[in-house]
Amino acid sequence: MERIGVVLGSREATPLEFWVGVEGGGLLRLDDLVVVEGHHPKVGRVRYFGMVDRVAKVHEGESFDTDTFLAVEGKIPVSLAYVAHVSVTRILPEEFFPPDPGSPVYLAQGEELELALYYEAMRNQRGSTKLPAGLLKNGEVAYLNLEFLNGAKGGHVNISGISGVAAKTSYATFLLKSLLESGVLEEAHQAKVLLFNVKGEDLFFLDKKNARLTEEARAAYARLGLPATPFGSVAFLAPPKKEGYLPDVDTRLEGVRAYHWDLVQFAQRGLLPFLFADKGALSNLGFLVAHVAEKLRRLAQGQKGPALLVEDWPGEDLPEGITFDALGKVRLKGFAELVAYLEFKLLGPESGEGEGDRAWTARQARPTLEAFVRRLRASVEGVGHLLRGDRPGNPPDPLKGEQVHVVDLAKLRPQAQMFVVGALLKDLFERKERGQYRGQVFVVLDELNKYAPRDEESPIKDVLLDIAERGRSLGVILIGAQQTASEVERRVVGNAAIRVVGRLDAAEAERPEYRHLPASFRQRALILPQGAVILSQPEIPVPLLVRFPFPAWATKREEVLEDNSAEALRRELF
Amino acid sequence: MAWRLYALELPLREVEEALPQGSEPEAFHPLEEPWEAKAAPPTPWPEPLCFLDGRERVEALVAEGSRLALLGCVAAGAAVWEGGRMRLHAPLVRRVGVGLEGPLSVGELAYGAVPPVGEGLEGLQEGLRQARAGLERELAKGLVGGLLVVDGPVRWVREGPVLGYIKTHWARYLPREQEGLLRRLVPGERTPLFRVRRKGMELASWYLRLPLAPEGVRPPESGLLRVETPLLGDFRALADLSLSLFPALASHPLKDPRAPQNLLPVGGLERELARRMGSREVVGRILARYLGGG
Repeated sequence: MERIGVVLGSREATPLEFWVGVEGGGLLRLDDLVVVEGHHPKVGRVRYFGMVDRVAKVHEGESFDTDTFLAVEGKIPVSLAYVAHVSVTRILPEEFFPPDPGSPVYLAQGEELELALYYEAMRNQRGSTKLPAGLLKNGEVAYLNLEFLNGAKGGHVNISGISGVAAKTSYATFLLKSLLESGVLEEAHQAKVLLFNVKGEDLFFLDKKNARLTEEARAAYARLGLPATPFGSVAFLAPPKKEGYLPDVDTRLEGVRAYHWDLVQFAQRGLLPFLFADKGALSNLGFLVAHVAEKLRRLAQGQKGPALLVEDWPGEDLPEGITFDALGKVRLKGFAELVAYLEFKLLGPESGEGEGDRAWTARQARPTLEAFVRRLRASVEGVGHLLRGDRPGNPPDPLKGEQVHVVDLAKLRPQAQMFVVGALLKDLFERKERGQYRGQVFVVLDELNKYAPRDEESPIKDVLLDIAERGRSLGVILIGAQQTASEVERRVVGNAAIRVVGRLDAAEAERPEYRHLPASFRQRALILPQGAVILSQPEIPVPLLVRFPFPAWATKREEVLEDNSAEALRRELF
Repeated sequence: MAWRLYALELPLREVEEALPQGSEPEAFHPLEEPWEAKAAPPTPWPEPLCFLDGRERVEALVAEGSRLALLGCVAAGAAVWEGGRMRLHAPLVRRVGVGLEGPLSVGELAYGAVPPVGEGLEGLQEGLRQARAGLERELAKGLVGGLLVVDGPVRWVREGPVLGYIKTHWARYLPREQEGLLRRLVPGERTPLFRVRRKGMELASWYLRLPLAPEGVRPPESGLLRVETPLLGDFRALADLSLSLFPALASHPLKDPRAPQNLLPVGGLERELARRMGSREVVGRILARYLGGG
């Protein structure tokens, strides 16, 4: 053990915090872990483990500020005081009396480090639950207790941080890598990941090697016990272009599938409410939306799709191209037509001041019905290409096929983004509720403030709340991220057992959502460098500042390591 | 019989005893001609440059029957300039009981016996002063090489150069005629060398003027320092060096009540020694508790 200093007597030492005087040429930095041995005749030996959260240096013997100049010129003798404040993380055995001033302080290494960070408690009957979560400043691996992530004792992760400093998405993908490939998660092969790509096409190269991966980063992966490889089993799904069925992507040209729903799926799965997820839409429409969704569900019962068949739409109002089929029903071939049909059912024929179908209007006042139709019409432009009647739908199914499903939302309008997220999460959660898939499902969703805002209601927020509150017992784990946790529904953030904080805005860092961080960490959150985050977990009373390695997978087109070997070309061509 | 606490403070001495007995100096012997202000080009400081100082503190007067003993604390330390930095040389701190016959333990304080020098209270005080001087000499033995600067007159000869400096001028060394030069000295200048004889030692001495803040009215002695060195080796070079040394280390009147004469390193050293001697209050209470009354 390396002795680094002594407990100071000039400042108060308590069982929970004390100051250390660093001796000689010793070095004690923020985040360093130390251990102090205390002794009391009635209790015996007690060890205090702690983390340095403040360090300071001062010239002793200077009574005026300008004395520093004299000291620098060598005109007055001064002694350099180098002190560090330690927050105690653990006392063994649990006897809460203060350490004696003058007690030697050692750097915690090896076994002591494990004790300081409760690593030895991270295990269950089947073995270790230490999930590599990054590297500490001293190069040691920082662990998360998997049991607080997989739902055993707690679940969900919440990541906060401003954009552009490589924290939120990078850390989320790093955590996924660790979950899927560190071997700590049992039956990791059964785990599924649903990853929403909300910005650019960053996540579209998860399966490609990163050309900029340095040797240093490789070594970091090796330390963490993770392969420095891209993700092996990834499906990329993007919405189709407005015309046709090709996926609407710019940078990745191969291996991306287009996703959309057909009208029958839309009706059967009751997805209509997710079109009304925008702000304030539900004030007085809620009942009508639920009613129409139910009517649609009944209408679609037994139909195979993709087009939705209706029998009571009068021919004279038919737009061009619609014909009665053999069954005498009208085939609705697109979302625009469905909207026209609903308009007819709710407001009656376009000509004249007719009345809608009583069975559909649910006795709602005409202005309500009109508002409903207006909103629906307005959404045609945004979601028309996602809801089709001319081709069987193939919505993303994260429980089938590849392990990781990347679903692109970046090019969609906000309403359509809401729709896709809501529809997918609802479907996923319902299937897990019914026990249709055994493995765990990790959902990564950025911009939680949009989907689960603090002050507004929306059907997606309901789904997210459901996942946050009940998901962990069903094996649905939310890895949510946002720029500002203060704008996200409190219960969604509050249910996350693991909190990760990247660089924060100064005003944001002062909000109560970050009170789980000690003041010094809130200050540091303002200056966090790239590739570093502050990690809080329930078992360890202090947050850990961890660095995580540069992604081994490409995060944009330029980073893709081109494989031009003969073998690769042969595979491409034959 | 046991020692009992008599007083924690010394009774005030008669003021007249402390006043200087100034008279015309007997033998004035200049070592340089003519008698006029001298300046010298800047000289680099020798290394290591040691400033030696000591402190004494009366902690209590104790009595056993009609016998008196003085409990006190003496400390000596050095500030050493080397490699552009001023560091503290491990200080020596001792508790002494002047007039005790054997060591005396009072609580966690231990006083070593030291003989008085002379009679009565004066003798006890002189004993304490001697104890401090002894400690200073002991510390000086550990300071090898370089130049040694001591606070006060030079009392012993060491191997290597030594400078003593005197801040207050009770004794007169110059005849009236030569004394006029002291008033004309400007900062950075010194008087020519003159010889001083004291207790069998031959010393070279000179006055120099420290830099002063430009404002204010002040007596002609302000900023005046008398420096001396044994009349051995190249004492003339030491006199020139002193012009580079002392003015640069003069303290500032806002920070030190004895500025500019109390040199910067010595001021720091004194603070440090006072700290090592422990709190006067705490010591007094321990003594009162174990020796009773007061």
